[in-house]
Amino acid sequence: MSAPRLLRTSGFRLTLLYALITGLSFLVMFGVMYWSATHYMKEQIDGAVAAELHEVELAAAGDGWRSLSMAVDAATRAGNGFHYLVLNPDGEKVAGDLPVRPPQLGLVDGLRLPASGDVPALELRGGGRASADGGYLLVAASARQIEELQESILRSFLLGLLVSMVLVIVGGGILSAASLRRVEAMSRSSRDIMNGDLAQRLPLNGSGDEFDHLAGSLNAMLDRITTLMRGLEQVSVDIAHDLRTPLARLRQKLERIHGRGADAQALEAAVAAALDDTDAILATFAALLRISQIESGDRLSRFEPVDLQAVVDVVAEVYQPAIEDRQQQLHVESGGSLWVQGDRALLVQMLANLVENATRHSPAGASLSLRSGTQQGRVWLQVRDDGPGIPAEARERVLDRFYRLDVSRSTPGNGLGLSLVKAVAELHGATLALEDASPGLQVTITFPQE
Amino acid sequence: MKILVVEDDIETARYISSGLAELGHNVTLAADGRDGLFQASEHEWDLLLVDRMLPLLDGLAMVKALRAMDIPTPVLFLTTLGGINDRVAGLNAGGDDYLVKPFAFSELAARVAALGRRPRRTQADTLLRVADLQMDLIARTVQRAGQAIDLQPREFRLLEVLLRHAGEVVTRTMLLEKVWDLHFDPQTNVVESHMSRLRAKLDVGAEPLIHTVRGAGYSIREART
Repeated sequence: MSAPRLLRTSGFRLTLLYALITGLSFLVMFGVMYWSATHYMKEQIDGAVAAELHEVELAAAGDGWRSLSMAVDAATRAGNGFHYLVLNPDGEKVAGDLPVRPPQLGLVDGLRLPASGDVPALELRGGGRASADGGYLLVAASARQIEELQESILRSFLLGLLVSMVLVIVGGGILSAASLRRVEAMSRSSRDIMNGDLAQRLPLNGSGDEFDHLAGSLNAMLDRITTLMRGLEQVSVDIAHDLRTPLARLRQKLERIHGRGADAQALEAAVAAALDDTDAILATFAALLRISQIESGDRLSRFEPVDLQAVVDVVAEVYQPAIEDRQQQLHVESGGSLWVQGDRALLVQMLANLVENATRHSPAGASLSLRSGTQQGRVWLQVRDDGPGIPAEARERVLDRFYRLDVSRSTPGNGLGLSLVKAVAELHGATLALEDASPGLQVTITFPQE
Repeated sequence: MKILVVEDDIETARYISSGLAELGHNVTLAADGRDGLFQASEHEWDLLLVDRMLPLLDGLAMVKALRAMDIPTPVLFLTTLGGINDRVAGLNAGGDDYLVKPFAFSELAARVAALGRRPRRTQADTLLRVADLQMDLIARTVQRAGQAIDLQPREFRLLEVLLRHAGEVVTRTMLLEKVWDLHFDPQTNVVESHMSRLRAKLDVGAEPLIHTVRGAGYSIREART
């Protein structure tokens, strides 16, 4: 993890933004504090000056410049920290330690006591007033406190800013580095997966944070892709394996005609047979495509409420005469209106496949039943026959593409009927159960609770 | 019938056009969607056969454009895509029927015949008749030579579809689609079983009206004398 990468992370950029915002808020806070503290100090000093002014007046025997100068002399001797100036009506200094200046009434700001000996120059704030006989009194106090306060506020502000900036940037850096590490780990896993290690999954640290959520979602996606790819591989293998036989058979037929002399009638019969073979192969292809389409799940978007009873009714209606022609019976036990979310066309085909399976693998005289109902809020469909059934050990395998029981090799069919049933059931989130109906087979499809 | 075939695969186009020409249709070819749209909008046609996958402008877009121009010529889509989604998309775009490649030529011929003549007979017909067989769609009764015939609802609907296409061939798949809205090929002879029951009721002791067309389907018509 190189430094430039860290600086480019979104976390670090966010950190810088936070630092900027923190800095700005510090600045605003500083401004307010600086202003209000200064203002407060000035008020304090002005108040003290006003009080001292009053004190001096009280101490003076009368409201004349002479008595004021005596009071000031006394106060200066006492050394109470205040500085004074008393002027006579001619503007001459008669008492006090401040340099002569033109009389100014009220608040006097920007006063300055020049340095003398080892005492440094001093900024002062004062208040002046005129006496009744034309004299002038000025009382002033040191304003150094204000400066000191301002300096101290500025110092703590700068220090605080520095410390918080360091904290924000270091903290942000640590956080960014932590998230960068997680992202790096995920990227590494992704690269491994891309390089062919399809079983690999993104690491989760179990904290349930946003990275775990993301990794979880991506892992689920990978699982789905893997499933689809396996399906695809399976289909390719199935096609290669199970379509080669009929294609080879077709080729043999064509070769035989090709070699033999042209007897028009025999030729016609051979071409008809070849056409039948081709149609069977194409039908198998169509069925395979259909199953893949269903398994890829792209029909979910077409789901709408479907009345399963109507599906049962139409399938029963279509197949009833054909089943009777096979000397079998079809019983329908209605469960009333049964609504599920689904794809009507696929549900019809699913049920039709089950009924076809039942009639084609059962002998004459067999009895088939088509039942539906609800149990614990879940809608179910059941197709049952009293034919030979499926041995327990083969029940899982009959759902695989092209799998056919040895006993049924002679009956027509491509071995895809139940695969399609399984695919449609899975698309609807329904469970498919093959059970022994002793005798016969019982297939139950249970839909999820609405 | 004047038919425009919009198909980019030369082999298929030739197969379709020579077959239809043999049946006495007047066939013109267009090799891409843009040419197809131009020809379909410039000239009068009885039927358009449109492949879904076409260069320059795909079949769906072409038919949508035609319908947007208020050109109501019947459209039969040809496609190698077999899903029901594709069928619904085709019908939504303004197609009238849909046939998945590869198909038996008899299937195409039957659908062409059914579509080409469509505008002349409306759904509003209430009395369908062939020879001495008569179906009243309002009273839902069927008579043969004045004798009432009792049909189950499914037999009635089957006969209705045949009668609406009287004199033409109706294929097994067309019957499954039109009578039961079924869009797959059952492995069992379901249509045959229905048909034998219907025949047993209609043709008993009389000249048969329902004829099996070998390798294609069924047709209801007066026996040729």
